[in-house]
Amino acid sequence: MEAQAARGRPVSGRWRHALESRSVLAPLLIAPAVVFMALVVGVPFAWAIYLSFTNAIGGSLTGDWVGFDNFTNAWQDDNFRRALRNTLIFTLASQAIVVVGAAVLSNFLVRDFRGKWLVRFLVVLPWAAPVVLSTIGWLWLLDSLYSVVNWTLARLHLDNGLVWLLSAVNVEEDAQVPLQWLGRPNLALIAITLVHAWRILPFAVVIFIAGRASIPNEVEDASRIDGATGVKKLWYVDIPLQLPIALVAVLFGIVFTAVDFAVVYLLTRGGPFNSTQVLPTWAYAIGIDGGSLGEGAAISLYLFPLLVVVSVGMLFFARRAQVS
Amino acid sequence: MADLADELVRPSSALTRGDLLKKGTAAAFAIGMFGGLTDRAFGFYGPLKYANKQLAGELRIMQWAHFVPAYDQWLDNTYIKQWGEANDVEVKVDHINNALLYSTGASQVAAQSGHDLFWFISPPSTFQKQVIPVTDIVQEVTKKLGPMSRVARKSTYNPKTKQFYGFPDDYAPDPVNYRRSIVEQAGGSLRTWEDVRKVAPKLKQLGHPVGLGMSNEIDSNMLLTSLLYCYGGFIQNEENRIVIGQGSNRKGAIEALELMRDIYRNGMSDEVFAWTAASNNQAFLAGRLSVALNAISIARSAENSGNAALADDTWLASIPRGPVMRMGNEHVMGVFVIWKFAKNKEAAKKYLVDQQLGYREHFIRSLYYNFPAWTGAIKGGFKSIRQLSAQDTHKPKGKYTILTTIAEKYTTNPGHPGNTTPVIDEIFNTYLIPQMFAVVARGESTPAEAVSSFANKAQTIYRKWRNQGLV
Amino acid sequence: MTWRQKGVTYAVVVPFAILLAFPFYFALVTMFKTNLDLANVEHSPYLYNDLEGGFHWDFWNYATTEHVRFLFEDTNYPRWLLNTLVVGAAVVAITLLLAMPAGYALARLAGGWGQSAGVAIFLIYLIPPTLLFLPLSRLITQLDLKDSLWSLILIYPSFTVPFATWLLMGFFKTIPQELEDAALIDGASRLKAFALIILPISLPGILTAVIFAFSLCVNEFIYAFTFISSSEQRTVSAGIPNDLIRGDVFFWQSLMAATLIPAIPLALLYNAFLDRFIKGFTGGAFR
Repeated sequence: MEAQAARGRPVSGRWRHALESRSVLAPLLIAPAVVFMALVVGVPFAWAIYLSFTNAIGGSLTGDWVGFDNFTNAWQDDNFRRALRNTLIFTLASQAIVVVGAAVLSNFLVRDFRGKWLVRFLVVLPWAAPVVLSTIGWLWLLDSLYSVVNWTLARLHLDNGLVWLLSAVNVEEDAQVPLQWLGRPNLALIAITLVHAWRILPFAVVIFIAGRASIPNEVEDASRIDGATGVKKLWYVDIPLQLPIALVAVLFGIVFTAVDFAVVYLLTRGGPFNSTQVLPTWAYAIGIDGGSLGEGAAISLYLFPLLVVVSVGMLFFARRAQVS
Repeated sequence: MADLADELVRPSSALTRGDLLKKGTAAAFAIGMFGGLTDRAFGFYGPLKYANKQLAGELRIMQWAHFVPAYDQWLDNTYIKQWGEANDVEVKVDHINNALLYSTGASQVAAQSGHDLFWFISPPSTFQKQVIPVTDIVQEVTKKLGPMSRVARKSTYNPKTKQFYGFPDDYAPDPVNYRRSIVEQAGGSLRTWEDVRKVAPKLKQLGHPVGLGMSNEIDSNMLLTSLLYCYGGFIQNEENRIVIGQGSNRKGAIEALELMRDIYRNGMSDEVFAWTAASNNQAFLAGRLSVALNAISIARSAENSGNAALADDTWLASIPRGPVMRMGNEHVMGVFVIWKFAKNKEAAKKYLVDQQLGYREHFIRSLYYNFPAWTGAIKGGFKSIRQLSAQDTHKPKGKYTILTTIAEKYTTNPGHPGNTTPVIDEIFNTYLIPQMFAVVARGESTPAEAVSSFANKAQTIYRKWRNQGLV
Repeated sequence: MTWRQKGVTYAVVVPFAILLAFPFYFALVTMFKTNLDLANVEHSPYLYNDLEGGFHWDFWNYATTEHVRFLFEDTNYPRWLLNTLVVGAAVVAITLLLAMPAGYALARLAGGWGQSAGVAIFLIYLIPPTLLFLPLSRLITQLDLKDSLWSLILIYPSFTVPFATWLLMGFFKTIPQELEDAALIDGASRLKAFALIILPISLPGILTAVIFAFSLCVNEFIYAFTFISSSEQRTVSAGIPNDLIRGDVFFWQSLMAATLIPAIPLALLYNAFLDRFIKGFTGGAFR
C-alpha cells in the first residue's frame, strides 16, 4: 500500500525505490562499518606491515627497508618455531574442549531443573571476570608453593595418582609432588590450554544457547508435526539451523585464543625456558621489551595468513552448510 | 608478604589479631626512620646554573610504582609539590607497573608525545635514538658530587656515540637474603659458590632448599648473569663484543652451568622453573626457602609479615664468591631519559640535577632501596650511607649495612665488563640466559651445547644491533 | 523430566559448574583473609583459619575486611569501575549502530561481493593486536585523545564491530526468509521490515552481541595501558594490575576482590539474558 502511494510522488519515490533495491541498500548498510574499520584499523595495520619490512627499533614508526630479513631471521630461531607450534596447540586443543563442552552444557542448561539459575550463574562467571584479573587469580591457583589446585589434589589423595598417570602416558616423566604446573613444559602447556578453555567455554555456551533460542518456534512446531524426534531432529533440524551461529562461536574462540597475549604473559611469560611462548608473547618480547620493533612486527604477522586460511575455510564451510 | 604494602601506607591502622604484631614493628620502624627527619626535609642544593632561568609550565614524569608505596606517596604529595613551588613548575608523576615501562615508552615514541621525564628500571638502550643526550647535566652533577659510580656510568654511557643517553638516578644492590639459623643448622656457609653447592643438599634435607630461580623473570636473569661473572663466563668483553663462546669465557660459563645443574639436582626442585618475580619473595616469606637472591624487598617484607621470628632470622649477605671474582648485577638501575619530543626539557634537566643532589632523603624514604647513582649525593659517601643504614632498628641490628659493601665492591651492570647495550637488553627480554641454565639443569642439553647455542643466538642479536650502529 | 533425566542433568551440570566457578569461590574466601592466614602454606585455602590453622564457626572473627577497604579507599578502584562502565556502554552503542545494519545486509541483501565484504570485515579481526597499539597510539595522539576515555571509545569498536557483525549476521540468517517476505508482500519497506520483524525476533542475538561486546571492552588492557597514563582515567583491567602489583609484591587479597566484584554483576546480567533466551526457546517469548 505504501509502495502504491509512493508512485504518486516521483522524487521521494525514486529514493524509496533505491532503498528497496538490494544493490543500493546493501552497500549503504555495510558502508559505515567498513569505513570505520578501514580508518581505525586499516591504516595502523598497513603501518604494521610496513614496519615488518624495516629495521625500526624502540617504538619508532620508521626505519630502513630490509626486505624479508625480519621474517627469515625470526624463522631461523628455534624459540620462534616453538612459539608458532604452541600457538597452534593452545588454539586447537582449547577449542576442541570448548566445542564439546559447550555442546553438552548448552543441551542440559536449557532444561528445567531445580537450581538451574545458580548453575547458569556459576557457569557464566569465568567470562564475566576481566581476563587479566582472572588470569592473575590462576597464577595463585597454580602457584609453585601455594597452588590451591595442588592443595586440593593432595587432600583428596589424588596427587600421587596424577603424577603416576602423567608419567604413564609419557607427558611428564619425572614429575614430583607437588606438581609444578607452570614449571614443567608439558604441564604448563596443559595448564595454559585449560585456562583458555575455562575462560572461553562460557562464551561458547551462551552463544550456543542463544542460537537455539533464535530457532523460531514455527520450525520446532513444524518438525514436531513431521514427527522428527531425537537424533533425526538433531541432525536434520537443530544442527543445520545452529551451525552458522555455532561456527561463529568456534571461529571467534579460535581467534580469541590465537591472538591472546594475557594468559601466557601473566602465567609463564613464555617459560619455563621459553617452552610456552606463543607468537603474541614472542613478538612482544622481541619487538617491545627487546626493542626490535621491525622483527616483532614480522613475528606477529606470521599468524595472520594462517588465520586467514582457517577462517575463510570455515566461512566457506558455513555457507555450504547453510545452503544444504 | 602480599601486603607489606598496605602496612607501609598506614602503619597504625588496626587489623586483625594476627596482624597486631606487624603493626608494632612497622610503627616503631616509621618513628625510627622518619622521626628525626622532618625538620631538615628540604634542602635543595642550589644555586645551579639554571638558577636565574625562569622555569615554567608543566613537568610530567613517568616512573614505576615503587615497591615501597610510602615512598611514592611522599614523592607525589610532598617532594614534587615543594620542588614545583620552588621552581615555578607544575609537576605531575604517573606511576606504572615496572613490567609496562617498555611498552609505554614505545607507545610514547610511536606517538612522538609523552612525558618529559621517563624512568626505566634498566638502561633503556634500545631507545637511544629517541632521547636527547644528557651529558651536560651528568658533567654538572659530577662537578658537584664527584665521580659517578661505575655501575651507573657503564649503564648509561655509549662509547660508540660518546654520550650519556640516559641520566642514572638510582640503583638497588642485589644481596643474598638467607635464613641464618637454617644455614647454621646445615653447618654450611654461603661465602663461595662452592660452599653453596655443598650446603644445598643439606638445606633441602632440612626442608628449606635454596631458591635460585631459572625462570622467565628478572630475578633469574640477574642472578644467573651474576653467576656467569663469578665464574668468568662473560657474555661480552669490554668492547661489547660477544665472547661467551670462546676461550676462558666458554670455560667459565660451562663451570657455572655445571654448578647450577648440581645445585638444582641435589638441592632444589622444579619450582625454580615456574617462578614469577614475586615467587622467591613469597616462598621465602612462607618459610620454605633458606636462601634467595633479591633486592631487600624480601627482608623488608619479612619485617612486615607479622612473623617476627622469620624477620629476625633473615640476614643479608654479599653474593658468593666464584673462582674468578665476586660480582653481581644491580637489581634495579633507575635511568631517566628525556625524549627528543619532550615539551619541558629545561625543567626536566633541573629536576634531575636537584633530585640527585638531594638524594639523601630519597635513600632513606625508599627504606635503603634506592642508592644514589652518585655516591657523593649523600654527603660523606659510602661511609655515611653505612652509618645511615646502621640506624635501622630491625633485628639483627645493622643488617642493612652490608648493602654498602655490596654497592661499593660487588655491584656491576648487566653486560659486565662492557656496557649495558641493546644486545644485553634483548638477551634479557627473551630470557635466553635462564633458558640456557634450565636446559642444562634438566639434562636436555650438555653445558657445552647450551653455551654454543646461546653464543650463536647472542651473536645474531649482536649483528642486528651492530647494523643499527648502537654497538 | 523423569527422575532419571534429572539425575543425568545434575551429573553433567554440577561438575561443570564446580570446575568453572571454583576459582571464584576461592577469590571470595581469599579477599577477606588475613596476611598470616594466607601466607601459611599449611592453612586451608578454602576456609578462614586461626594462627594454628584451626577452623572456628565464628569464622568472621578470623577474617578481615582490610584488603577490600584498601581497594576502595586507597586506590582509584571505584573510579576505574565507573570508567569501565562508561567506555563499555558507549562502545556497545556504537557497535550496535554499525553492526546491526551491516549484519543484516550481509545476511539478507548482499550477493557475491557482499560475502567478500563480510569475510573482509571478519579478517580485520584476525589482525594481531600485540603491536597494533604503536601506530594506534600515534593516531590517538594526533586526534588529541591521549589520556582520555574517548581514545578507548574510539578504538574499541574496531574489535567489537567485526565480532558483533558476524554474530548478528548468524542470527539474522536463522530467521526464515518467509517471515520477512510476508511483511514485504504486505507492503512494508525493507527497512521497516527490518525494524519491525527482524529486530524483535533477533533480540536474543542482539542481547548476545551487547553482552559480549561489553565484556570484550572490560577485557581489553593493552590499549587501556598505553593510551592512558594517569591513574584516574584507567579502566579496571589496566588499573588493577598496575596499582596492585608493585615490583615483586602482589596484593593478593585486594586482587581477588577486584576480580570478583565486577564479575558478579556481569554474570548476573548474562544470566538474566540467558534466562530470556531459554524462556524464548521453551516458551516462545520471542515469537
